[in-house]
Amino acid sequence: MSKLTRERKNKTVNRILEEARSSGLVCNRAESGNGPKCTIGGRVLSNFGSCSYMALETHPALRAGATAALEEYGTQFSFSRAYLEAPLYGELEAALDTIAGRPCLVAASTTLAHLAALPVLINDDDVVLIDQFAHASLHMATELLKGTVVERVRHNRLDFLEDRIKAYSKAGRAVWYLCDGVYSMLGDFAPFAALRELLERYPQLHLYIDDAHAVSWIGKYGRGVALKELGDSERVVAALSLNKAFSGAGGALALPSEALRRRIRNCGGTMVFSGPIQPPMLGAALASAKLHLDPSFEALQHELHERIRIAREAIVRHALPVATEDWTPICMVQFDSAERARRTVNEIMARGFYCCYSAFPAVPMDRPSVRFTLSRHNDLNEVARFVETLAEVVRPRVAQNAAAAVAF
Amino acid sequence: MNSKLEHEAEPASGDERAEIDALIKSLYEVISFDQGGEPDWARMQLLFSRHARITRITPDGTDYLDLAGFLEFAKESFEIGVYTRFFEIEVLRDERRFGGLAHVLSAYETRHTPSASEPFARGVNSLQLIREDETWKVLSLFWDEERVDNPLELETLFDRGEKHVQIDT
Repeated sequence: MSKLTRERKNKTVNRILEEARSSGLVCNRAESGNGPKCTIGGRVLSNFGSCSYMALETHPALRAGATAALEEYGTQFSFSRAYLEAPLYGELEAALDTIAGRPCLVAASTTLAHLAALPVLINDDDVVLIDQFAHASLHMATELLKGTVVERVRHNRLDFLEDRIKAYSKAGRAVWYLCDGVYSMLGDFAPFAALRELLERYPQLHLYIDDAHAVSWIGKYGRGVALKELGDSERVVAALSLNKAFSGAGGALALPSEALRRRIRNCGGTMVFSGPIQPPMLGAALASAKLHLDPSFEALQHELHERIRIAREAIVRHALPVATEDWTPICMVQFDSAERARRTVNEIMARGFYCCYSAFPAVPMDRPSVRFTLSRHNDLNEVARFVETLAEVVRPRVAQNAAAAVAF
Repeated sequence: MNSKLEHEAEPASGDERAEIDALIKSLYEVISFDQGGEPDWARMQLLFSRHARITRITPDGTDYLDLAGFLEFAKESFEIGVYTRFFEIEVLRDERRFGGLAHVLSAYETRHTPSASEPFARGVNSLQLIREDETWKVLSLFWDEERVDNPLELETLFDRGEKHVQIDT
């Protein structure tokens, strides 16, 4: 990115965030605990903004896991894992191997997992094609690939992707496509069926999928959508989050071989030089992993799926302008102007619900949005009531604008 | 406001007037694109003189660019996903010509989609055109946007009692 583009982007982002901050929409501080409700500015709001889709952070098993690890090991285990790791790491990685159905390597965060993995997986002569809306942490990790060609490709446009793969295939170069399993802001899935076809057609194609927003709530044992759809491919690496729906801490790489796990553990910079996950949260992550492997977990997934169904059907019924019809727990209602999106969030909050205002750079300039998420924290009636309320707030404005347009 | 105001400082031949009109229309066309598309970079370059300057006043600072710098900035902004669709139309024009130079003041509205209920931005493009190799090209494109502290009052700006004609859009 050129100096001008970087400087302008930074100034624009700063201005947009300051505007949102002055409207009371970002950088808020919660005044109460976590879960179904959050208190902001003295108002108790139903929570439709959390990424804890499975609502496990208050689960008794996770609390007990964190407490037991705290009692056993204290607040930290202060070694580089290159020298010595806390005992819980072995148990956690073994449980994750079963969840993912392949070797897993735990990192202190999903971002640190990317930073460790990409420079090891990708050679200078390889080519990286990255979806323009892949998570910012993935874009950041590509900055480490100094000698490698990195190109952005249009979101979910596999026709463009295939053209680039063909072009580089002629030169015999390996091509890595970096994308999200579920896009964190638009809430849509990667086009997995089409990606499988590309994998079959182009043996030099490899996929690295940030599946942070799909862990837990989808797939066997909650392994996420990337491994659900493409876990049988040896040319697919998935990065998982142990935060968000998993409700522990850290991230994990689900890798196609034991050899690759060892190589990234040995050579990944952040695996060697960054600190570990500390014992209490390792304990919570291990408890969560065990819960994922329990036969009862599928029923918890179904509870979230039911909330997604109710919300998505209501969205269609009210013709809300959402970014995607994919059934994920991330819903983006798009607006013509940032001001309108800000006013909508303010009004929704005034009616007792918390949801998020989304603006550039989280979404493109032309997609100012209201982002809301669904979790097991929300009861079924509340989900229906929230979408109803959103429709009430959004629709009169649309009608009013239509009238204004005619008069103009 | 679906009208343009054309000021005739010097009577232009019908051909030249049409040529300038086509140039301005082309300029708005090449920068506009729908979801899945992109600006017409190749055609955009053809509209500018190789000596062209592009200057943009924004809330975040003023950029002084040559054509290559502008194209690099615009392409990078597109690639990082600043915009995924963009529609800019001209709503009013003031135009003066003398010999091989022309000045155009062109008010615009920018929408996310052609059917968007309201523009997300309005502003004014100031263009200097040059007659170069027997065709009109943009020598300078310079714009500023409407803001709370910079309201765009179209009638005041464009109609100061000067002769103008209304043209269909």
